Amino acid sequence: MRGLRRIAAHGPEPARIVGGVLVGLVVAMALVGPLLVEGSPTRQDLSAVLQPPSPEALLGRDHLGRSVLVRLVHAARLSVSLGAAAVMAAAVPGILLGLLAAWAGGWTDRVLSGVGDAVLALPGLLLVLLVVALAPGAFWPLFIGLSLAMWVEWFRVTRAASAALLSSPAVEAARLLGFGPWHVLRRHVLPEMAPLFGTLAAFGFAGAVLAVGALGFIGIGLRPPTAEWGLMMVELLPYYDEAPLAMLAPALCLFALVLGLQLLAGRDPR
Amino acid sequence: MGGVARALLRRGVQAALVVVLVSVLCFTLVRLLPGDQALRVAEGRYGYDRVTAASADAVRAELGQDRPAIEQFLAWVGRLAQGDLGASLVTGERVAAEIAYQLGHTLLLSLAALALALLAGPALGLLAGLRPGGALDRAGMVGAAALRAMPVFALGIGLMVLFGVMLGWLPVAGFHDAENIVLPALALGLGLAAASARVARDATVAATNAPFFSFALLRGLSRAQAVRQHVPRNAAVPVLAYLAVNLALLVEGVVVVESLFGWPGIGHALSHAIAARDVPMLQGTALSLGLIFVGLNAFTDVAILAVDPRRRG
Amino acid sequence: MTPSLVIEDLRVGAGRTALLRGVSLGVLPGVPLTIVGETGSGKTLVAEAAMGTLAPELTASGRIVLGGAASEAGDRVARRHLWGRGIALLPQEPWLALDPTMRVLPQVAEGHRFVRGLSSSKATARAREDLAVLGLTDAAARFPHQLSGGMAQRVAVAAARAGGAPLLLADEPTKGLDADLRAAVVALLRGALQAGGALLCITHDIAVARALGGEMMVMLDGEVVERGDAAQVLTAPSHAYTRRLLAAEPEAWADTDTAAPGDAVLSAHDLAAERGGRRLFEGLNLTIGAGEWVAATGPSGCGKTTLGNVLLGLLRPATGEVRRRGGVAHTRYQKLYQDPVATFAPRLDLRTALGEAARLHGVPWPQVAAMLNRLRVADALLDRRPDQVSGGELQRIAIARALLPDPVFLFADEPTSRLDPITQQETMEVLRDVSTERRLAVLLVTHDQAMARKLAARQIALGRA
Repeated sequence: MRGLRRIAAHGPEPARIVGGVLVGLVVAMALVGPLLVEGSPTRQDLSAVLQPPSPEALLGRDHLGRSVLVRLVHAARLSVSLGAAAVMAAAVPGILLGLLAAWAGGWTDRVLSGVGDAVLALPGLLLVLLVVALAPGAFWPLFIGLSLAMWVEWFRVTRAASAALLSSPAVEAARLLGFGPWHVLRRHVLPEMAPLFGTLAAFGFAGAVLAVGALGFIGIGLRPPTAEWGLMMVELLPYYDEAPLAMLAPALCLFALVLGLQLLAGRDPR
Repeated sequence: MGGVARALLRRGVQAALVVVLVSVLCFTLVRLLPGDQALRVAEGRYGYDRVTAASADAVRAELGQDRPAIEQFLAWVGRLAQGDLGASLVTGERVAAEIAYQLGHTLLLSLAALALALLAGPALGLLAGLRPGGALDRAGMVGAAALRAMPVFALGIGLMVLFGVMLGWLPVAGFHDAENIVLPALALGLGLAAASARVARDATVAATNAPFFSFALLRGLSRAQAVRQHVPRNAAVPVLAYLAVNLALLVEGVVVVESLFGWPGIGHALSHAIAARDVPMLQGTALSLGLIFVGLNAFTDVAILAVDPRRRG
Repeated sequence: MTPSLVIEDLRVGAGRTALLRGVSLGVLPGVPLTIVGETGSGKTLVAEAAMGTLAPELTASGRIVLGGAASEAGDRVARRHLWGRGIALLPQEPWLALDPTMRVLPQVAEGHRFVRGLSSSKATARAREDLAVLGLTDAAARFPHQLSGGMAQRVAVAAARAGGAPLLLADEPTKGLDADLRAAVVALLRGALQAGGALLCITHDIAVARALGGEMMVMLDGEVVERGDAAQVLTAPSHAYTRRLLAAEPEAWADTDTAAPGDAVLSAHDLAAERGGRRLFEGLNLTIGAGEWVAATGPSGCGKTTLGNVLLGLLRPATGEVRRRGGVAHTRYQKLYQDPVATFAPRLDLRTALGEAARLHGVPWPQVAAMLNRLRVADALLDRRPDQVSGGELQRIAIARALLPDPVFLFADEPTSRLDPITQQETMEVLRDVSTERRLAVLLVTHDQAMARKLAARQIALGRA
């Protein structure tokens, strides 16, 4: 009891705790869900179309008789891994190039910032769409498009924050004392930027998951019969009256993941 | 050079970048597309069963596919520079004419959503921020967090089911009457309005804690007078700055919402063009959405400059 | 004559800690009252109690008579209706207290319009007159960020007094301003005394009290230790603390017996520097010898700091060159900053920070500990983060850090301008001793002419270009 109260008084705000729990639940579902819930997400059973929840299919069956729960956990694995991979693929080059631009300044900075501005000229999803148009329905264009649209955010935030830090009196003093770039990075730049990176990662993750869902929903993301939340919703839209749970479940999962990530992230860093 | 001129110049450069980016991507798309492009064009134009090798050859010559890539690209850009967007591979209609028809619908929908984000959201945020921790503040923050996390398409379906089907108050499809726009505009604007309400709330709290606000009280102004004189303008700055960064969400939402509600705008046409690999149409719609994005950006730039004298410099 | 403000036996506490222990005072029209005290003496609490703006967690007792009515000091609502009408507060750092998105004229007009109830056009006309009296006619259409510190100060006075309050309360009116603006601020405050006005001024700066005249009070640890006629207190102080405070003024410091400077550690020839396309200085020749102190003085924006940074090689000169003594490591040219907090990694404890710098220069820890002892830094302080120690303590730790590479030259950029007078004197004494022992050359940048005269054998006066 006392421990709880201390966390409430000194620990992270309640919103972050709720966010952490939500994200933890969905990620756990993605990691262990497919192991716990047996069955194939694409196995049809046309004799059990739109069946209500039963011991074999706890959330019922969809319009092709596939288990909604099985599809749900596989879709979770897809969204979580695609989101995490896109964030990593955006963060690594974004951070490195941002540090490079801030450190080198001059032409390096101008060229990199120019490239960043060019990518940002288009809304991110539009860029993803144009890349996805190369091979609609495939996984790789989606991943490449998302990373391509997202790295700029990391680049710009890293560049601005590290430029401010590098010109601070603390870094000037460290350099006058003879400390090298590695020390400056380790002591003065990265510790100050770590919370920023956490926030960016959470927002980026949420954005990627939402984009995957939205593209699936409008029929230009992943293709059926892939188990994907947006796709599941649009497939079941005509049957929402007969099987409301089948349509609601993916929406709730997506909502929980995005809400959790946003609560975890706190304030928008931009 | 004044701040406004500088901002507009920057947006002009962005517009040029949009044109270059979209045309290069679309040209790459044509080159990379599997199958004989000319055959597909001919199919689109003359119908699937009436296409002949001769008509495909005619189209091929017309597209200039027998020439080297760089020459083709220059021709591609040259046509674009003359304002020639080509014809849709699916309908055979001129792309420019189709977009001219769709543009009005998209602008109407975007502006309705933007009004929600610029007026309703900040107004509620301001009220909540004046009594931080109060009932409105708490309820509003929970609601805003939920709306912000709701995918646009899920929100759209929710609105359709609730108001269109269960309550039967509003039409879920169609685009001829004024009431047709209500649900799509809500689906598109609510998330943005929730986010701007949140920003406005924080900005209001910040403004009422700022030294200039306490100085206004200490000079003898009543709280109501001090709020009226000093809070809205100062709180507007972060709200506009937030919107400027998040306009991308609006344009992205247009694609999803138009597709969901069958709204005959550019976003809807874009998703169709991708599914049908209708490159000229894809290029035209992507260009239009990109330029709408630039236009909205320019608008917020000017609005921010109008509110915040520090940035005019 | 009835006093404009009377405070009787004011006591303020935070929990069990007493912050103010029975302060009484009276402010008469036409006679300024200045309260002098250092950070933490409780002088600002007096102003907050008078207004009724004490933080809600503080308890207060005592009686306050303002605008002819008496009320309890703890009653935060009783004097609310007198704000702007009976008592006007000039806030600290007034450029932050003006609305950044509103032009100057309407901000001043607010008092006339909302407090005096004039029509909008009449209020604007009156505000225009107010600004004209203060020589601010040209500033009427400007925004606060377009004002200099001194102008913002005058605008804030006009805005604060627009409601017609006879009593002006000024809290640290010279904070953040150059010393050469002090006379102007004092003249501005004296202007409030005309036409039967009254003035209560709170400051850490004895020079303000001296210039204002009238009555003065000296506060220490929540108590008034001395009060009386300003001229008398300043010439014949009776309390030991007042004497110490007066002795801490640079004018009163002991003169330095300067030893002859040694070999040159640094020389500059025909130096010129620019900032933002503006030429700050040119044709500057300078040689600094071992153990020598040179002071650079001048108003803000004159290029004092730029000069030091050019000498250290942090900035490139527009023309000319800087030569260092041959064979001396680059790191033996060091710098002290105005705000030491900003020069340490914010999340790192000071022991680790010093330890890493000591290891880098091969200084064994016992030697560091001895130096800290010499600089009177308690060992326990090192386990804190930079923002958890006082400004004076952190500046001494920063001195210790700068000494680790065994420097021959130190650029001290206004190292004490944010410290209380007594702490300032102590810090400078320590620095002077260390410099004498180690034959350390110092370029001192300061806007305090007296300090420059006392410490440096030579001065470079930079003017506003």
